[in-house]
Amino acid sequence: MLKLHNLSKVYRTDEVETAALNSVNIEIESGEFVAIMGPSGCGKSTLLNIVGMLDTPSSGDYVFMGENVARYSEAKLSNIRKQNIGFIFQSFNLIDELSVEENIELALLYHNIPASERRARVERVMDKVGIAHRAKHMPSQLSGGQQQRVAVARAVVGDQAMILADEPTGNLDSAHGQEVMEMLQALNEEGTTIVMVTHSPAHADYARRTINLFDGHVVTENLRAAV
Amino acid sequence: MFRNYLKTAMRNLLRNKLFSFINIAGLAIGLAAFILITLFVRDEFSWDRHWSGADDIYRMEMTYTQPGQVDRKSPNAVDPLKDIFLNTFPEVEAVSRYLEFDVGLRQGDAMYGQRILFADHNFLDFFNVRFVEGSREAVFSDLGGAVISQRTAEKYFGTASALGKSLTLHLPNGDRDFYVAGVVENPKRDSVIQHDFLVPFNRDYFTGMRWFTEDWRFAARTSFVRFAPGTNVDAIRAAMPDLVERHMPKGTDSTETGTSWSVDVDLVKLGDVHLYGNGANGDAGVLYGFLGIAFLILLIAVVNFLNLSMARTAHRAREVAVRKVLGAARGHVIQQFLAESVLLGLVALLIALAMVELALPYYNAFLSTVLELNLMSEPVVALLLLVLGIGVGLSAGSLQALYFAMLKPRDVLYSSTSADNGTGRLRQVLVVTQFAISAGLMIIAFFVNQQTQFARALDLGFNPDNLLVVARTNNDQGDTFKRRLLASPYITAIGRSSDVPTQGSEDRMQVRPITGDDTVTIDGLPSGPDFFRVYQIPLLAGRYLEDMPADITRARGEEGEYRRSSNIIINALAAKRLGFESPQAAIGQLVAANLTRDLRVDTTIVGVVADFHFDSARDVIRPGIYYTDEYRQSDMTVRYDPANKAAALDVLNETWRATYPDSILEYTSMEDMVERQYQTDARLGEMLTMFTLLAVTISAMGLYGLASFTAERRTKEIGIRKVLGARLRDIVGLFLWQFSKPILLANLIAWPVAFFFLDDWLDGFAYRIDLSLLPFVGAACAALAIGWLTVAGRAYVVARTNPINALRHE
Repeated sequence: MLKLHNLSKVYRTDEVETAALNSVNIEIESGEFVAIMGPSGCGKSTLLNIVGMLDTPSSGDYVFMGENVARYSEAKLSNIRKQNIGFIFQSFNLIDELSVEENIELALLYHNIPASERRARVERVMDKVGIAHRAKHMPSQLSGGQQQRVAVARAVVGDQAMILADEPTGNLDSAHGQEVMEMLQALNEEGTTIVMVTHSPAHADYARRTINLFDGHVVTENLRAAV
Repeated sequence: MFRNYLKTAMRNLLRNKLFSFINIAGLAIGLAAFILITLFVRDEFSWDRHWSGADDIYRMEMTYTQPGQVDRKSPNAVDPLKDIFLNTFPEVEAVSRYLEFDVGLRQGDAMYGQRILFADHNFLDFFNVRFVEGSREAVFSDLGGAVISQRTAEKYFGTASALGKSLTLHLPNGDRDFYVAGVVENPKRDSVIQHDFLVPFNRDYFTGMRWFTEDWRFAARTSFVRFAPGTNVDAIRAAMPDLVERHMPKGTDSTETGTSWSVDVDLVKLGDVHLYGNGANGDAGVLYGFLGIAFLILLIAVVNFLNLSMARTAHRAREVAVRKVLGAARGHVIQQFLAESVLLGLVALLIALAMVELALPYYNAFLSTVLELNLMSEPVVALLLLVLGIGVGLSAGSLQALYFAMLKPRDVLYSSTSADNGTGRLRQVLVVTQFAISAGLMIIAFFVNQQTQFARALDLGFNPDNLLVVARTNNDQGDTFKRRLLASPYITAIGRSSDVPTQGSEDRMQVRPITGDDTVTIDGLPSGPDFFRVYQIPLLAGRYLEDMPADITRARGEEGEYRRSSNIIINALAAKRLGFESPQAAIGQLVAANLTRDLRVDTTIVGVVADFHFDSARDVIRPGIYYTDEYRQSDMTVRYDPANKAAALDVLNETWRATYPDSILEYTSMEDMVERQYQTDARLGEMLTMFTLLAVTISAMGLYGLASFTAERRTKEIGIRKVLGARLRDIVGLFLWQFSKPILLANLIAWPVAFFFLDDWLDGFAYRIDLSLLPFVGAACAALAIGWLTVAGRAYVVARTNPINALRHE
């Protein structure tokens, strides 16, 4: 699916130079479920941003589905991203002014898909995450768990091959957190590649592989024995 | 996709009602002001564009120049020019002229005053005037047929057909009967050609009036020339000096033909006559000024919008970031925000149109005009307004769209710092711009009004109250009329003169000073002996002129000859100019005055009066000589007893009827004439005040929105400050100071601009106020006060919030 080779990211201000990522080498196969762990400031979010093409590396290569996208323009990256990558955030990032179904539909809006097909796909995915009965509600009327389910629905409605989840359970209580993890696991079993940043070892256990970052380096990679 | 944009836009609007209201209302007020001003300006610029072939029609105008005298600008042309034009330029298709003349009109027993156009035969063809009754071919074939407008027909004949009915005109050479040969459409309001009553020109009506000769000194008729389409009129203009040189007769007697004076002929396009012609009614400079203000107000409104939308970027940054993550390209984002602001622009336009519709009656009353906005009948205007709405929307949304297009999603979605960074400085610049314009307008409006008041309060040197100026008494019955009036106890004084104060004098005399130096130029005013008494102009030395032979320079019944010597009066300035040390020193002195180049009169100064304003108060008082010329006393000034004004007017009317049974009494009050001088400036001041208020209102609205936003954004900071011990007044003070800085800066920018503009404008006045610092400081204080009032409420609410709530907010 993707391969990071000698990838570095340096943030520069006038006086300080901070290396967020330092010669990182990671390979993720299609259909994998990978958890990224590490203390605050270790580079997890930077890594996820680069993998999600919201940011570009300072040096090194990023090969995504056979293409080296490390030096691609924003427009080009945006195009690849919208075809292939779905996002789930800790703070859900739903648009307050749009209803549940409209929020989900938003992911199809920039894909030139006819309205009728959009509606069908939105309904299908709402059923899948169990939020259909809330279709007309606004995000503010939902619980955190429900909001995150909407976010998951939005991440997968476009049949994205890969989902990037940034602490998806960080704002949820344990019951709702588990619910979301089970949803991700189910998606992974259907073939979706999942890369998840998390602080919770329990939730990292859902992944087949855990990458530990520290100070911009990959320190360990643990492969979990198949269940 | 647009449905989605629309939904987000609408819900955002509804969610932030205050912002939406301020945004839309600000834009709407700005647009309404812009539309109102441009309506007026357009109307002024569109005079006389409706005639067929108007672009090829020009008015011939003449300007007389005589050394030492003021240029005399005439809207008319001399008679010989018609044939000269037709014979000289093959491009000339036709020339048509008319003489505008007010006469008495008799219908049965009733008398009316009526303005008549004594027109050339081709007038109706030339201007393609449309007939309602009768036909163009049938009229003007004989001299007895008159053509009147619909409203004139209604005035004299009601709803009955006017065709064939007769009316009697009281012409200079006696009464003549005319029958109505045709009725034409009413002249347009915005036209200099008001053809309400057309009579074929006939020289016989005016025989004996000496200005009806081939004499080039008397330009009597309004003359229009039509050129073939595509004619190079500039080339014809360039040929004018040569044309005048070849055709103007040069006699030896300079009073009859032009040797000591010269004349320029100009061609003014029909559509330009209203604003640029001689004796123009409009002032293009003021119109451009208004247009400038219109754009400034619109700019303030757009800046308002820009500012508020930039202040709110943080609120919508997350939405944009999510949209981008989900695949929205830059184009999509720009499209979305521009569509949104264009939508707002159009909504504001609709509200503005409603405002204009509601305001028009008052606006028209204020400007005494009849502007209207009819979008149905003017699709081009509708289209232009649509473009305006879209344009305003686009410019108002541009910054926001651009900002969001450049936004990086990771900055919003992953970072804890506000996305607002970087727009703060821009917002400050925008607030400064807004308040600089507002403060500048405030200062300018203040001084313009101040100057008008100053001019009004100016001591004119005479008493303009309770005076009536009666016209057309310059004839044999003038003395009788005067005597009869004075018999009434309600009439306290009567004076006669060729012109009256506010009108100025065109006569310039050359007089040699007592020192024997070069002659100096002094204004001459032919007047009657009682002139100074009626105007109550104080005497500084000597005596007033009296009704006795030695005091009369030209007497009635002496064949129009000037006497070789006579007594005169001068003003204090003239005494000084002539070299006398005091008014007293001038009394009894003999000076030689040249009334014209060849006419010398030995005059003895018998009185010196205080200086008084004879021209507009805009002009400086000039030295003057006052002498009695019984042939030049066309105006009679009557002072009445203010306690019995109505009775005095009755006496005036009755006496007129008894003395002049065949003509209409026409009089003006001197107070009105004085007031009229200030009208243009007073109106300018009022307009400025009105639009300044609008500009300030819009700016204050924007500031309020901005304060609300800042209050919201700084809740956490304020919570921390309060936890650390800040008091209520510290917090309020913090807020006020934050908004005071840009307002103060704005004033510093506005001051020099306003100063230079005003200094230049005031230089047009001989008696002007000085620019003092206080009003500038006042404007700054007013701006600050407005700013503080706007912000204080918000600041107070925020400052009172419990810090716990504030900190929990984040």
